[in-house]
Amino acid sequence: MLFLQLLFNGIQTGAIYALTAAGFALIFGATRIFHVAHGASFALAGYAFLMCSQAGLPWPVGCLAALAVAVAFGLGMDAFIYRPIQRHEGSFFTVFVAAFGMTIVVQSLIEIGFGRGFAVVPSALTMAKEVMPGLYLANIFWVAVGVAVVLFAIVGLFLERTRAGIGLRALSENPELLRAYGLSSRKLSALAFGLGSALTVPGAVLTAVTSGLQPAISAQVMLISLASAVVGGIGSLRGAALAGLLLGVVENLVISVLDTQWSSAAGFVVLFIFILFKPSGLFGQAVTR
Amino acid sequence: MIAYLLNLATLATVFGILAASLNLLIGYAGIFSIAHAVFFGIGAYTGAQLAILFIPDVLLACLAGGVLAGALSLCLALPALRVRGEYFVAASLGLQMMAVTLFSEAHSLTGGHGGLVGIPMPTLFGIDISEPATFLVFCLLVLGGVLLAIRMLMRGSFGRALMAIRDSESAAEAFGKDVPRLKTLAVGLGCTLAGVAGALFAFYMAFVNVESFTLEQSILVMAMVIIGGTATLAGPLVGVLLLLLLPAALSFLPFIPPTQIGAVQQLIYGGAMTLLMIFRPAGLAGQSTGRR
Amino acid sequence: MLDRRSLLATTLAAGAASLAAPRILRAQEGAYVVGTLFPMAGPNAEYGTIFTNGIQLAAEHLRAEGMLKRPVEIRAQDSLATPQGGAVGMTKLANVDKASYVMLGFTGVSKAAAPIGTRSKVMMINGGGVGPDLANLSPYFWNVIPLVNQEVQVLLPWLKQQNLSRIALIYVDDPLGNGILQQLKDGLPGAGGSLVGSFSIPPATQQFAAIAARVRDTRPDAVYFASYGAQQAQIIKQLRDNGVSQQILTYSAGSIPSVVGLPESDGLVFTSQASDWSAPDPLTQRFVTDWRARYNSDPTSYNQNYYNAMRLFGLLAQGLEKADKPVTGENLREELLRVRRFPMVGGEGSFEDQGTMSMPMQINRIQGGSFQKIA
Repeated sequence: MLFLQLLFNGIQTGAIYALTAAGFALIFGATRIFHVAHGASFALAGYAFLMCSQAGLPWPVGCLAALAVAVAFGLGMDAFIYRPIQRHEGSFFTVFVAAFGMTIVVQSLIEIGFGRGFAVVPSALTMAKEVMPGLYLANIFWVAVGVAVVLFAIVGLFLERTRAGIGLRALSENPELLRAYGLSSRKLSALAFGLGSALTVPGAVLTAVTSGLQPAISAQVMLISLASAVVGGIGSLRGAALAGLLLGVVENLVISVLDTQWSSAAGFVVLFIFILFKPSGLFGQAVTR
Repeated sequence: MIAYLLNLATLATVFGILAASLNLLIGYAGIFSIAHAVFFGIGAYTGAQLAILFIPDVLLACLAGGVLAGALSLCLALPALRVRGEYFVAASLGLQMMAVTLFSEAHSLTGGHGGLVGIPMPTLFGIDISEPATFLVFCLLVLGGVLLAIRMLMRGSFGRALMAIRDSESAAEAFGKDVPRLKTLAVGLGCTLAGVAGALFAFYMAFVNVESFTLEQSILVMAMVIIGGTATLAGPLVGVLLLLLLPAALSFLPFIPPTQIGAVQQLIYGGAMTLLMIFRPAGLAGQSTGRR
Repeated sequence: MLDRRSLLATTLAAGAASLAAPRILRAQEGAYVVGTLFPMAGPNAEYGTIFTNGIQLAAEHLRAEGMLKRPVEIRAQDSLATPQGGAVGMTKLANVDKASYVMLGFTGVSKAAAPIGTRSKVMMINGGGVGPDLANLSPYFWNVIPLVNQEVQVLLPWLKQQNLSRIALIYVDDPLGNGILQQLKDGLPGAGGSLVGSFSIPPATQQFAAIAARVRDTRPDAVYFASYGAQQAQIIKQLRDNGVSQQILTYSAGSIPSVVGLPESDGLVFTSQASDWSAPDPLTQRFVTDWRARYNSDPTSYNQNYYNAMRLFGLLAQGLEKADKPVTGENLREELLRVRRFPMVGGEGSFEDQGTMSMPMQINRIQGGSFQKIA
């Protein structure tokens, strides 16, 4: 029963990870930018939602505000940070340091604005009930899973069926070709940042009501997204989503056999093993050394 | 005030060694590791244990720390041989996160979060060198030695071969370079030097615990190298001075309310990192055209 | 160099108002320099603010009373609540600021800072960290807070009386958490109970749903958690959300507003030192009245402890002034050893040789956003 309980906990955590990681993978796939400030989008979205609910606004308004903030931040990072650096042909690590700097900036701004404590949006949805002897589930579980499924279906359709979506997928494969067809890679990369950042919103809102927010949350989210993206196969949306789910489940299940300390490291053990033995990830193309 | 400056200078020297050793990986070999704090930590724990259990001789501690860190660098060399670029970054990240858990779990070796306390004053061949100025001189000597060694190595055939791999691995292979061996050597050397820095750090702090060897520390060192300028001798040192002295200097600013010092320091520190990367992407000491 | 340097910390002469509008000040000729080493940023910064507020009020009172001949200047360093931050900050306070008296908190910070302070002969006063290792740490290290072994000792008989015998423990894997683990392991059998499970967590973990599942699996009568800062509220909320309906217990770190104000904390029981705000002595009354006037709420024991820590400096320095001795760390220590007993908020404080201070303890229960003494 403990196993089943941990599995369900893992799926809930994993659904949130999957959405966030998919956003990261989308951005990386389309722009080849390792967007480590992705966690900052998440944190900003969460705190925007928190601010709205503290102001007594209904939750849909809060979600919209979170969406606006996350998308604006993602677009801003693209336009004002990544693009100028790429113009100078900055190396991969230049981008990394710049984005990490912004993560620190966002974290300290949140600290100054909201204090450094832990903040949670109270919700009746998080209270677990015993659905089977020894198995407790809260309504938020169904919300998390439902939202993840619906959003993945929408994003999938968008990428498969629309011109912009197909462009996005093509961008990672051959930017030159795209230009020849008259699609602006600049607009598409903005689209990737907007869409990718928007995918942090459900995770941020769910975290705000379940385990709560704190200014340092961005670093944690960044690590999980990064790990999922790699385990899934860099650039593969489907892979990142599955890997996010996998990491969430592993993180929880490992507790049934190992010391509780290992929970947060477990995901990274999986990551390390994947890189050593299956570096292309779940769905990636073969990696050239 | 002098004592404080000496202290800061010693810390900067230790980080100088650490950053220079990471530069060997990032700058010359093109191995983007964000697990450098792991090897810094291995050196520090080894040096500290040696000093506590046997003899607080700095040279011995540096040797032991360096050797162990170098030996364990295989954990990093393994993924470095298999993958590159973002994949390797992720691998080193995984290593870093696992190591932090190990450091905090292995109570008998590392003291867990409580750390190792009561590291004795450093001696050298039985002579007490705990005086801050003396210890600083010793650290400076080590730094000088490290820089000299890196300079000589990088100008020699080893360095040229490494840089060839960095710029194009397949081309280097085609020219008959033994890529795996060279990479393993570079990783081993870089991590050994990180271990040496770690041993010095243990004596400097007289206390070590896992918090000094986390991902944040790895990223700080990486930022030092990148901001200073990769593949230059002076770059890492410039980066160290900037990133260590900046927070120290900020804490002297008069207009920040004491309860917000921390947040404002972090804000300026993060902002400076970003701005520097936008306007000097090759680093402060690097060529302005940006490499690679 | 020193006197030209502008100062971070505000002088107390300017009062608390200057916190909002700090000014550039020159070190006053001969002012006593007192340091603070608290977390000012990060998930534990809530404590930094709480600790500092107590000190500020005490400093204002010292000034209003005209207790000392010279002004007192407070210099703040951020300890980040980490041992490393503690070591660096302490070095700065001792060497640059030349503080003779430093107030600090947190077990890990204290353990790292103590050797440095001892080397420079700085008096160090802890009013927040409760790890059992903080006793006998250094001749210069004194606690104005009862350490956690005292807290557990008070709780054990209460557990027995409430028929709570199966206890599960969630603890942060650091000197504090391990101290509590040891205390419970040793103490519970004697009180007719047993430790049915102990789960260690890293200090930065935020997800506790899985741990809650394991805790539930041990079928405890009560769950004790030993953590601090932002993590505490997350533990409580997630335990409650995930079907742990049993009594939750903790130690004095649970007295901070982010825990007390949490709806899920209702019914939570924690130990702390006795704080009887209705005590008739004028010292306590002035503290409580002024506190309520300023913050519109009751003080917590941390506020009280750091108020006492600052007040202790005033008393020690006053003694030294009378004896015409310079106020140095060494002399402050001698003065403390000479007097030993001091009038403080909450009653007389008396220092023991281990560097500890005994105080009466109490058990509190959180109810509707505030806490009451229940035993």
